[in-house]
Amino acid sequence: MGVLALEMFPDEVPGVDWIGVTGDFVRVIDEKCDGCACCVRVCLGECFEIHDKKARVRSLARCMECAACWYVCPKEAIIFNWPQGGTGFRTDWG
Amino acid sequence: MEKETEESKEYDVIIVGAGFAGPVAAVKCARAGLKTLMLERSARVGEKVISGLTIPFHGFLFGPDFIREGNPPIERPVDGIINYIIRDIDSCDIEIDDSLRIPKPFSPVIAFGYNAYCRPFCEWEAQMAVNAGCELRTSTTVADVIKEDGKVAGVITEDGERIRARIVIDAEGSQGLVAVKAGVREKYPPEVISLADVYDYEMSKEDVDTVLGHTLRFCWAWDEENLAPPLGYGNGLMVWPYRRSVHFCQDQCLSLGEGRVSNLRKAFLEYHRNITTKLPWWRDEVQPRVKLRAHMWETFEIFVGLDKRLRNMPSCTDGMILIGDAAGLEGTELCDGVPAAWFSADIAADVAIEALFSNDTSKEFLKRYEERVRDHPMIQWSISGTNRYNLRFAQDLHDFEELKKYVHRGWGLACFTHVSTPLLKMILRFIREDPMIIDSWIRMFFRYYYNWVYERYDQRDFADRKGVNSAMKGTFSSFLFKSFIRGFAITLRFFSPFIRFAARVLEPVCVVANPLMGLLLPFFKGFLNFWAKLEPLTSRISDVSVELIKWSDPRIFERP
Repeated sequence: MGVLALEMFPDEVPGVDWIGVTGDFVRVIDEKCDGCACCVRVCLGECFEIHDKKARVRSLARCMECAACWYVCPKEAIIFNWPQGGTGFRTDWG
Repeated sequence: MEKETEESKEYDVIIVGAGFAGPVAAVKCARAGLKTLMLERSARVGEKVISGLTIPFHGFLFGPDFIREGNPPIERPVDGIINYIIRDIDSCDIEIDDSLRIPKPFSPVIAFGYNAYCRPFCEWEAQMAVNAGCELRTSTTVADVIKEDGKVAGVITEDGERIRARIVIDAEGSQGLVAVKAGVREKYPPEVISLADVYDYEMSKEDVDTVLGHTLRFCWAWDEENLAPPLGYGNGLMVWPYRRSVHFCQDQCLSLGEGRVSNLRKAFLEYHRNITTKLPWWRDEVQPRVKLRAHMWETFEIFVGLDKRLRNMPSCTDGMILIGDAAGLEGTELCDGVPAAWFSADIAADVAIEALFSNDTSKEFLKRYEERVRDHPMIQWSISGTNRYNLRFAQDLHDFEELKKYVHRGWGLACFTHVSTPLLKMILRFIREDPMIIDSWIRMFFRYYYNWVYERYDQRDFADRKGVNSAMKGTFSSFLFKSFIRGFAITLRFFSPFIRFAARVLEPVCVVANPLMGLLLPFFKGFLNFWAKLEPLTSRISDVSVELIKWSDPRIFERP
């Protein structure tokens, strides 16, 4: 399959909600990605996976919009924007 | 009325982001009569801000006056730090450095800082901005800036709406997406960015009081102990006691240089498991009393100030100023971005007001913002501390003595060898301006303590002390505090020309404070040890003063 996705956290992240339709605010530019998997290693929300030696966004369902992926990508292959206003993750306990 | 006219969308100032910094700039601009708009991407202010947070006392002392004179929602006053320096966890070979502590009888009323949840705090600040006349729009993401002849002339929202402004103040946080797009500064490299992994635990107030009290706990260890995250750059683990909860925060740099990116999910999970099952005080005292409520994470810039090139990146351009984390002003040691965010927001608002009244929003004019930030002793101190960075090398080399040294300098008593001069400079600067500030500082500590006890915060119901105490006690303590505060204020006013003069004379001399503290540290330690022996007496005084504050009428501690 060539899929690398590390299931480290339990399925539920307590105390945090995701609301509305965010749009795909994080994207990987295929042509730039060299499959180094930095984004996969650094993302605590398990948002990325490696498929056919390229990173791709698996799901943004647990993205806390920290932009760690955007920071670490050595090829500048990740486009990171804020999600649609009023959507995305929220918490009362930050 | 779907379509508004162009004119109604023209503002004097637009502030991007309603976190800790944005509303401070908004309050000042709105109070100066400027047409101010604050844009926030979340539906409710503060719900995307994450952190275990102590706002150190200097943020309140030298920060915006509406906070110092207000009733912001705080969680718990902090009286010091206990450092656990762990050599071997399995044999419990742990050294403790708890030398940084406000001594009794001053603690816990005179606090080292205040723990807070970000959401209610940011919300409170934003409400103050709205009260001051600022317009607030939530659920609005800024996608880019309007540029005209190379000048920033407003912002463009994600829906393509163009909102014009004479000055844009960018307070969107460390990622700085708008600042990077506008070409003000570059994106920060991952070596200076840390990922904080935060757990929020519920715990009864009685348990927090007994087990953790008012003290922060930091842990430092070797990497093979898998205890705190010391994969590099001296990262650590910190525990904050809140009112009825505890925050557990571990953080780690995203990259260790040369493209080395660790598997942070794996590392964080191991650290968390290790600390909660092996560290004696967590395992035995905390773990049985807590219930996990939330788990969240966020990146923050930790070492921007240590890199000369990054530090000198511009924080303004024609028509735009960056403040707080967007300008790289996170503290390198305490990871305290809030005081610097407040100071820079205050300065930015001053400069924006000056620029608009002079009708000159050019980069040349706005550069006075950068100059004032560079001239601010506390901002410069907080972004240039090297102890946390240096820990890495001690951890790499397994040099326990070095590790202890850096911990002592960073979060122990020896911090006075680098914080004394900037702190004194700021104190004298404020006193020179207006000696009555001392009165306001003292009232603040009393009021914040009272507010902490009764959860008396603006925009919230609170448990009134009435019914809790007898009228006689209340009258007595109110009389006592009223006499003290009034008497103090009158004395201060009487001597204020002299105090002002003394502050002016002392200000240039305080550069010697740091080296002097270096010399006097052993004596200082000796004195504090002696003082600690008086604990039975001093803590009695402390208890009495706490009781008196509880009985008092809080209006005595408000601005007269």
